[in-house]
Amino acid sequence: MPYLSLLIILPLLAALLVVFLPNRNQTTFRWIALVASLLNFLLTLLLFFRFDKSVAGYQFVEQTDWITLSLGPLGVVSIDYFLGLDGISLPLVLLAGLVLAIGAISSFEIKQKQKAYFALYSLLSASLMGCFVALDLFLFFLFFEFMLLPMYFLIGLWGGERREYASIKFFVYTFLGSIFILLVMIGLYLSVADPVETAVAMGLVPGKELVDANVIADVQNYLQEGRIEADQIVHTFSIPYMAEPGNYLPQSLLNIAADHVLFGQSARMLAFVLVFLGFAVKLPVVPLHTWLPDAHVEAPTPVSVVLAGVLLKIGGYGFIRIAYGLFPDGAIVFAPWLGGLGVLSIVYGALNALAMNDLKRMIAYSSVSHMGFVLLGLASLTSEGVNGALFQMVSHGILSAMLFLIAGVLYTRTHDRQLDSYRGLAARMPGYVTLTAIAFFGSLGLPALSGFIGEFFTIMGAFNSPYLPNWMAPVATLGIVLAAGYFLWTLQRLFFGEFWSKHEAGLLTDVTPRERLMLVPLAALALMLGILPGILLNLTQSTVGEFLKNF
Amino acid sequence: MPVFYPLLAVNSAIPLSYFVLASAALFSIGLGVVVVKRNAIVVLMGVELMLNAANLNLVAFSRYDPDLKGQMFGLFVIVVAAAEAVVALAIVLLVYRRFQTVDLDEVNEMKR
Amino acid sequence: MLSIISLSLFGILNLFLGFLKSRRVLLPATLLFIALAFAANLLDWNHQYVYFRDMLRTNNLFINFSSIILLTTFLTVAISRSFGTDEEHTHPAEYYAIMLFSVVGALMMVGFENLIMLFIGLEILSVSLYVLTGSDKRSLRSNEAALKYFLMGSFATGIFLFGIALVYGATGSFNLSAIGSYVSGGPTTGISPLLYVGLLFILAGMLFKVSAAPFHFWTPDVYDGAPTLFTAFMSTVVKTAGFAALYRLLTVSFTGVYGLWWQVLTGVTVLTLLVGNITAVYQSSVKRMLAYSSVSHAGYLLIAVAAKTPQSPSAILFYSLAYSIATITGFAVLILVAEQKPIEGRPDERYEAFNGLAKRNPLLAFSLAVSMVSLAGIPLTAGFWGKFFVFSTAVDRGMTNMGMVLVVAVLMSVVGVYYYFRVIIASYLKTGDSEPIGIRPLYRFILVLTTALTIGLGLFPDVVRQLF
Repeated sequence: MPYLSLLIILPLLAALLVVFLPNRNQTTFRWIALVASLLNFLLTLLLFFRFDKSVAGYQFVEQTDWITLSLGPLGVVSIDYFLGLDGISLPLVLLAGLVLAIGAISSFEIKQKQKAYFALYSLLSASLMGCFVALDLFLFFLFFEFMLLPMYFLIGLWGGERREYASIKFFVYTFLGSIFILLVMIGLYLSVADPVETAVAMGLVPGKELVDANVIADVQNYLQEGRIEADQIVHTFSIPYMAEPGNYLPQSLLNIAADHVLFGQSARMLAFVLVFLGFAVKLPVVPLHTWLPDAHVEAPTPVSVVLAGVLLKIGGYGFIRIAYGLFPDGAIVFAPWLGGLGVLSIVYGALNALAMNDLKRMIAYSSVSHMGFVLLGLASLTSEGVNGALFQMVSHGILSAMLFLIAGVLYTRTHDRQLDSYRGLAARMPGYVTLTAIAFFGSLGLPALSGFIGEFFTIMGAFNSPYLPNWMAPVATLGIVLAAGYFLWTLQRLFFGEFWSKHEAGLLTDVTPRERLMLVPLAALALMLGILPGILLNLTQSTVGEFLKNF
Repeated sequence: MPVFYPLLAVNSAIPLSYFVLASAALFSIGLGVVVVKRNAIVVLMGVELMLNAANLNLVAFSRYDPDLKGQMFGLFVIVVAAAEAVVALAIVLLVYRRFQTVDLDEVNEMKR
Repeated sequence: MLSIISLSLFGILNLFLGFLKSRRVLLPATLLFIALAFAANLLDWNHQYVYFRDMLRTNNLFINFSSIILLTTFLTVAISRSFGTDEEHTHPAEYYAIMLFSVVGALMMVGFENLIMLFIGLEILSVSLYVLTGSDKRSLRSNEAALKYFLMGSFATGIFLFGIALVYGATGSFNLSAIGSYVSGGPTTGISPLLYVGLLFILAGMLFKVSAAPFHFWTPDVYDGAPTLFTAFMSTVVKTAGFAALYRLLTVSFTGVYGLWWQVLTGVTVLTLLVGNITAVYQSSVKRMLAYSSVSHAGYLLIAVAAKTPQSPSAILFYSLAYSIATITGFAVLILVAEQKPIEGRPDERYEAFNGLAKRNPLLAFSLAVSMVSLAGIPLTAGFWGKFFVFSTAVDRGMTNMGMVLVVAVLMSVVGVYYYFRVIIASYLKTGDSEPIGIRPLYRFILVLTTALTIGLGLFPDVVRQLF
């Protein structure tokens, strides 16, 4: 069964179905999108149960030739349709499956232009899933770039008042980042050879099936000795091949041993910085974060949920898979810088969140702060740190989805997200208070909820890391203190005291069953991961262990 | 420099550099006219000067070429220049009819 | 070669068709002529011929370039309509004939083996375009554009010709390979300074024709003033032919002095990218935006020329193809949208005219969006691969040489996103007129075709790339 292809194809089919069904029955569209995303979620659960936790390598691999370009004296470029899953991507695929399903339920509140909305939403789901399972750098880039378009329209068409500004800002920022990645990608493919295909091109073996480890070793030796004709070298975008130094052409731009110098800097370091910048926009890392609050504030609730819950994770995933996976030397050299940026994001995001009066903007800045922990954990290059970063990504995905849904609950009732418009909501909306409290406490890192585990592990990683200076971990904990500050303050301002609101009291009804359907599972999950973090950590452990051997 | 070809030895009294200088001068005058003058017709004449400067060069250089390729090219240039002039005058006439002027500064509908 | 001869004959034939009472024949006939020339062109595939004592050379590269030129001409003719309904002022047969003649010039520029041919081809192309630019005789803007284009164009021709004369003086030949062997053979007396000056003059002339900064100043006014159909024609065919000629000239004849023209070209490239993209942002008319966008694309194409790797020709080919298709689509939609609500008798070409296009005609809006996305270079469209191949040539040449250019190119493609998306924003995110726009079947077919091509090339670039 091509499980991973199904993950991409299901939403694509849903999108096509929505596009080609007649316009008459608007309500069918949301059901199509919902059913597709639920099926996808079940599929990710299936993957979770069938995944072999003890194996560090890729599982469920699918590989087919897609584009083969002969570039004459430059050799051949081969782009594959290459999918696979390992302990790093599986948690994120699970998260994406869940959040996209929740987002589909939440999308039921979209009332205008439903056809376009659900087509774009399904398209977005497909490209998000594709990002996490693609193992061909080109394919990854394709999904990575393509996801901008549906997102752009989702914000631009269904957004708030300043939606045009927010959507183009989102697009231009991320596009700039991805062009950086594109440049490095070109450098990489010119530098890396595919040993299997090259063996076939050289005539060492008649077919790809017959290539074994010995042949690969031979080809790599020939390659390093420069004994292969240039036009027989098959260049590749395969991420696993790019991660092996043996596959780099001897004098190529990004070969470690060749150590080329560009603009007075090492070419590989420069490439690492470019890739880092590309993904840093997505994560987002302060000072490249300014698109995020704007996009969140303007986006409709389900889009915010997907943006915070899944889209930001691609930044983190890209760090691990591409920036760290392909340039481990750069990761070591820049570790203090990255850690520093992580700490900056944590503190800066938290301070900003403290100052916000708009609930959604506050949550957006808290996202910036929480994703800073991911960066800090990764930069530590320790087992705790990286596992913690992955855990933090999943936990933040769940909690931020919850937080944005909570903001949405308020917004659908009064179209007002200003914190000072409400007081003492606890009296009128008891269910809402409970769920909000869980989300807030989870986010501020209360033990027994998932946020605590992620933050704890990343900070521990930062303490233990040989690469990071000692002051970083304590400063990062300041972020937790601040988080407690803004979340508790918000809780107090919204819910405690005597009921008062700018708006008609009748509008402020408690959460509906549909909203409960979305919020309760998320809350349960946050609680479960907080008590039993092993569920997730077991998945990531062996892959991360293998991954850290590169450093 | 290509080898001096002695067939036309009579004219060799005038060194090649004179021709090059003369054509450079012509070219510069043409260029100056195109840049400075605002009357379309005069600018057109400037362009013709530039073309003819090139022609002079071609013919002068072709004295050192047994195939006389330069002279052949010169003929082509003359024909092309004539064709160009026809189109140019048609365009200028049309512009004059519409704008009642051939002053380039006043033919400025686009900025409005 | 057959294509050049047949096109010339077809052009004359077209003039005779103009005598027919029925105008209906003209458009199908012209399309048929172009298709025939296209087929005739393909006959020489995988053959190398040299014609007329080394005047013209046809090979696969020639066929590829001329196929692109003929394809864009076909598309342009297909979206042409009756050049106005006023009997007295319209002579469609002549315009079609002039278009065919100008294509002859373009093909000569692609296949030239001798500078004489280059000059004649360039002139045939340019003189035809002067006429086409002024073809809307009642429009002041069209007249003005024609005058400006003519003066600037012939000025450039003068410089170009003077350059040729100087190169001839230095090398004693107009033949590309003969010049090439003089330049790289290293004559005993050293390369004559005349050659350097001549090369710079020729470069200036050619860069003018492909509208690279700082020789681009005529472009916005001329593109803006000319009838939109011919703007589309100019910005695609001239660019393709110009770059084919430029690349051929520089690589065959002047490889020996790569160090000289590389510096000039990288400077021009950076300037072109900056000027084209940044000025495009500030335009309020879509037509002018597309004019500046064509300047900026000249900049990307120049990267591949300046890199001069074995991959450059195919990169230029792919880029030209992607660019031409997307540009034609953009202009085709612009023609339809702009004439819906004329302002003071002039088509409304402002961004505002596109407001709510998605509601008025989804096909128009979608093909416009695809073409803009392709011009911006976003994956899954042909334009992305064009950029990819062009950037690859630059990376291949080496970052020490091309690093600066690449950085600028990258930043400018982000700027590009901004102004291309303004059109998409207008057509999808804004509300405007709700009056539907109708399109004729042929027009619809062309839009569907170009959109499908843009996406198809984005998904499977190798299909075409194998040919290049």
